[in-house]
Amino acid sequence: MSFLAQTDPWAGIDVGEQLFAFSPMIALICTMLAVVTCPLLFGRGPRPIAIVVAVGVIVTFYLAMRVAGVVSTGAISGLSPGGAGGMLIADPLSAGFQIILMVFLAGIFWLWWMGSAATERNAPEFFILLLGSALGMALMVSTLNLLLIVVAIETASLPSYAIVGFDKRDKAGAEAALKYMVFGSVSAAVMLYGISLLYGLVGSLNVADLAQYVATMGFHTGESSVLLSVGLLAFFAGIAFKVSAVPFHFWCPDAFEGAKVEVTTWLSVASKAAGLILLARVALTFCAAVEAPLNMQFLEPVAWVIGIVAAVTCTIGNFSAYKQESVKRLLAYSSIAHAGYMMMAAAVFVYAGSPGYTAGLTALLVYIIIYMFMNLGAFGITALVVWDGGSDKLDAFNGLMRRAPWLAIPMIICLMSLVGLPPFAGFIGKWWILVALGGLDSTLGWFLVIAAVANTLISLYFYLRIVVRMVFAEDQRAAVRAPVGGIALVNLCALALLLLFVFAQPLKTSAEQLSRGMYQAVASNTSDSSSARVADSGS
Amino acid sequence: MLSIGLTHYLVVAAVLLCTGLFTIMTKRNAIGILIGVELLLNAANVNLVAFDRFREGGLFDGQIMALFIIVLAAAEAAIAVGICINVYKNLATVDVDSARQLQG
Repeated sequence: MSFLAQTDPWAGIDVGEQLFAFSPMIALICTMLAVVTCPLLFGRGPRPIAIVVAVGVIVTFYLAMRVAGVVSTGAISGLSPGGAGGMLIADPLSAGFQIILMVFLAGIFWLWWMGSAATERNAPEFFILLLGSALGMALMVSTLNLLLIVVAIETASLPSYAIVGFDKRDKAGAEAALKYMVFGSVSAAVMLYGISLLYGLVGSLNVADLAQYVATMGFHTGESSVLLSVGLLAFFAGIAFKVSAVPFHFWCPDAFEGAKVEVTTWLSVASKAAGLILLARVALTFCAAVEAPLNMQFLEPVAWVIGIVAAVTCTIGNFSAYKQESVKRLLAYSSIAHAGYMMMAAAVFVYAGSPGYTAGLTALLVYIIIYMFMNLGAFGITALVVWDGGSDKLDAFNGLMRRAPWLAIPMIICLMSLVGLPPFAGFIGKWWILVALGGLDSTLGWFLVIAAVANTLISLYFYLRIVVRMVFAEDQRAAVRAPVGGIALVNLCALALLLLFVFAQPLKTSAEQLSRGMYQAVASNTSDSSSARVADSGS
Repeated sequence: MLSIGLTHYLVVAAVLLCTGLFTIMTKRNAIGILIGVELLLNAANVNLVAFDRFREGGLFDGQIMALFIIVLAAAEAAIAVGICINVYKNLATVDVDSARQLQG
């Protein structure tokens, strides 16, 4: 065993700097431990837990800001001897996503504090699950190692299954958790089998090595190409499940309808955004490995596949939302459609290849930020209405304009922003995706532009249904009693949507900075990719 | 003289995979589906360890990954059985076909 004789593999690596680069995740873990210990010291009431979680989220946010400042000069890949193949990556993209995630987590926490906290008897468990899935999502966006991708996806998924069915007496929640868990564990297992095949072919768990292998060997090398196709297909199916792309979307409406509103809001934005950024990272690593002459021949079909899946996801999401009577379920289908719009951006940067990726990635990041506010607002108002009336059906929104103007007006803003109408920020998000698609100036680009615009028109109908109910439907019920903090939260979201429309340019500039500084993975065995492969002398 | 090679392991893994997929598709009992998932995970494990064993130069990534998968499978089983118990308490069955309250 020769490696024992080698010199210290950690020599020349600044362990302190590397630990600092991953401090947001360490802070999240410490918060989880603090939440475990807290009931032993201060009892199981929601108040001490809430203080611990709030402090933890703020500390994580602060550390992520500090890391973002450090990595803006150069990405760090590390916590592994050998540098290039580091398991964890800290770059502007991952730090930026962690900042967004913490802002969103704070919003979810506030929503929970307004509504569920008073009756919640299992606050410690709730927050361990919520923070656990946040940790998984933070890991998902900061790795290019197949092992850690799997661990991250599972860390994000397992608490999500449990948190969907958190209320033990709720039949719908139990059923939703069952469906989510069955779909999720099957897709994760299939993904793992695919990864085991890829590992056998490539001889490395690094995505950069995998991309290098695909770029040099291609799909034209006999029987191994079958294994490669199956492996890649299974791997991307696992990611598509997280994004809830068609045909892996069946879990989404059921899980979102059965879960508590805070949990639905959390999953609808955070888990999809993390999956999309993971997809972006993996896809861009593949793009970077493919040399220029092969570029179009290899990448164009891939871009077409992603584009068609995106267009179908959009269309199915929007058409299924038509006949829904439950607002939660309607918004769940709307979130499937929005995942489709965001996947269109992914098609852009796969098509454009590694030099021209910034437009697509920037559009994706801008969309994620805007989408976070839109969904937090729309689900927040739904939550306030549900807590008041006990029903999440469309009827519960009848006459909301008169019963609670401070909920109806932000709801209209959020819904019109979800459609993508000016002067709301949703228009900006869609606009830049359309600009990036048009910038391709290709059949695929124009096809997706048409698909996106047509889908926007379709979606106008079912979002307007809610607006019409709120403004015109007669209803004699009393005014909605909602906590002031909840009203403040949803109105802040609506205000943010207006402000982001006005200050669209700074938003785009900062998103561009995040996407420009993205870590470029390097294959560890660029010179002799064949020597590490499995010996074919099997039998 | 028969010597056991990589292909044998891959065939065993493929058989495990097919058995698992068949179980998932035919069983309507949630616990049965979970057993199918465990078979899939173990198919991946057999693959990973076999690929490591027959590699020139001997890497350990696959074996380490297999260890991680074992832990993940245990965690997943714990969560899944918990959810199944909860479903049973609420619906008095763990048949996935009976879970049809949420539809549309």
